[in-house]
Amino acid sequence: MKKLPTIGFALAGVVAIGLTGCGLGSGTSTDSGSSSDEITGEITFSTLQLKPTFTDYIEGVIDDFETANPGTAVKWIDVPFDGAQEKISTDAQAGTLPDVINLNPNFAQPLEAQGAFVNLDDAMPGLSSKFVTGAWDAFQVPGEDGSFGFPWYLSSEVTMYNSSMFETAGLDPNSPPATYDELFADARTLAGAGADFTGMHPALENRFITDLGRMGVPLMNKAGTEWTFNTPDAEAYVAELADLYQSGVFPPDSLTQDHAKETEAYQAGQIALFPSGANFLTIIEENAPDIAKATNVGPQITSEGGPTNVSVMGLLVPKSSENKATALAFAEYITNAENQLAFSKIVTIFPSVTEALADPYFMDDSDGTVESKARRIAAEQLPDAENIVPVQFDDRIKAIVIGKVQLAMKGDLTPAEALDQAVEEANAVTAK
Amino acid sequence: MKAQYKWLPWLFLTPALIIALVFTIGPFLNTIVLSFTNSTTLGGGTFNGIQNYLDLANSPQFWISTRNTLLYVAVVVPLLMVLPLLLAVLVERNIPLIGFFRSVFYSPVVASMVVVGLIWSWLLSSDGAVNGLLEALHIIQKPLPFLTDTTLLLLSCMLVTVWKGLGYYMVIYLAALGNVPKELHEAAQVDGAGSGRRLWSITLPGVRPTMLLVGLLGSIAAMKVFAEIFVISSGTAGPGGQARSLVYTIREVGLGLSGEIGYASAMSLALFILTIGFSILYLRSQRTDQLR
Repeated sequence: MKKLPTIGFALAGVVAIGLTGCGLGSGTSTDSGSSSDEITGEITFSTLQLKPTFTDYIEGVIDDFETANPGTAVKWIDVPFDGAQEKISTDAQAGTLPDVINLNPNFAQPLEAQGAFVNLDDAMPGLSSKFVTGAWDAFQVPGEDGSFGFPWYLSSEVTMYNSSMFETAGLDPNSPPATYDELFADARTLAGAGADFTGMHPALENRFITDLGRMGVPLMNKAGTEWTFNTPDAEAYVAELADLYQSGVFPPDSLTQDHAKETEAYQAGQIALFPSGANFLTIIEENAPDIAKATNVGPQITSEGGPTNVSVMGLLVPKSSENKATALAFAEYITNAENQLAFSKIVTIFPSVTEALADPYFMDDSDGTVESKARRIAAEQLPDAENIVPVQFDDRIKAIVIGKVQLAMKGDLTPAEALDQAVEEANAVTAK
Repeated sequence: MKAQYKWLPWLFLTPALIIALVFTIGPFLNTIVLSFTNSTTLGGGTFNGIQNYLDLANSPQFWISTRNTLLYVAVVVPLLMVLPLLLAVLVERNIPLIGFFRSVFYSPVVASMVVVGLIWSWLLSSDGAVNGLLEALHIIQKPLPFLTDTTLLLLSCMLVTVWKGLGYYMVIYLAALGNVPKELHEAAQVDGAGSGRRLWSITLPGVRPTMLLVGLLGSIAAMKVFAEIFVISSGTAGPGGQARSLVYTIREVGLGLSGEIGYASAMSLALFILTIGFSILYLRSQRTDQLR
């Protein structure tokens, strides 16, 4: 019995540790910090998977910034895309977010919902006019005023296709599909050609919700609080997907596969159509030179009058930064026209600054390469493009929605049942 | 021991106790506390009573996960108790190259689960080696949807778990087989008992406690199944996520920037209770069996 007090104390200590460490406090600081307006001192800058391919470019921009602003130092950290969410959430919990952080709108939204970032409309009035409208709007949070991120580099989908397979299937290799009806008609013809390839891959996790947006289906209500995509148009689209899957236009295992598998399938010559970012042309060239030779490009698939999509990467400055003036100056510097144009010439991405996007480089396809053609097509699409995917479409919502669509494609649910269940379950999660 | 040295064992235990406290006991207690809150990854939280547990009870995903996890245990554990034993009996003999075969059977154990999962997902794809072989043997007319049918996907994952665990449990059985007296086998052989009869009447009773251990270890491992399902299904747990296990759902709900830590903690507690409850039931049933 004498041992009881010792055990009791130990247990009490352990319970105390459990309670004190239980994480009930909010992780993200909303403290505006006490920074001066002077551009000086050290800041940290994190990017998403840019090392080692773009090391020279990023380090060059950092050096130029430090030279132009004596007394400043930028410490660059690169985070691999896989695991980035865990790293960001840990940093946010610990209050150690970098001074300038590279995020896409979906990664940024949960942090912004906690009030984590500097509102650029307040901090730098007039900045928005420099940027492509669709890109600037990508970092707005529904129901809140202002925008929270400097749009950085953009990616716009084009339709890559294998022109040899088009010829084999009796299709005009110089006439790529431009609308959903044309896309699916061509995919059916290609799959029915009796060759060892099929039409296309659904890559649901990458395209389904964007496709609905491009078709003009209202994805959410204006306040961004409820999902609303269970419409007759969406039902017709899901029914079409189910028919394409069941009739073998999509590869048999594609139901649960992602965009990476779609890329593999295109590079392996298993599918003829590959709607994706123009930057994938470089990857195809590296991994499958023969397929790259046969590849041609067309515009992004749209519905009549529907918007085109743009994927946006941005730079955000947390309110917790102790050197906001330098952080904002650096974010503005790296996203300026000159630096964005230089970045766009290294890889097929696009600047978010209208001045850079107007550069003749993007419209010049006189060299006759597929890359320059893709660059021109994508650049033409950008001024009116929107970031269609709502910022609330996080991994959890995506799993719910795509899961229901998969069941509909298999025939386990009707399109209406799948969409109704998806909306109901997604709303339950969004409401939490 | 002299009275002034009574603290000495505690001194030696201190490093291990601190590690257990910080990395096991503390987080476990933290999980219990969090399961009664609405904590999120970023947003903190407040106590909300048993709301998370009520949500669990009403969640179809939780019940699908529980069903699949229990199904996994029911299929995988008996196979992991029997197949490694047969393998151990086979490789116990001292014949040429047996060391090589033992290493080959053990090699999946040391392979990364992600690599193993990727290899099996290629083998099981519609144009993969398994379907190719079955078609060549005229067992099937068209490829089986191993990766897109929930039942086949679960069975495929179970197959991989068993295949990967065979070597590990085989080694445990090999150690146990060494303790079965050879004289018993020799005497039975003299009496005319065949190998099957000796396996049933001598080997099995001899390794019975080890089978119990393997059953328990296998059950706990099967309860925690995640990597096989995640990798082979390309991170989707099959169409509609219907091949999900409890750990898969815990990860899905709790991770990411929008993670519901409180709800995921409640689910973790449910898994803990299920695992402990299953282990106790299992041990009791074995003890009752032994007393008979």
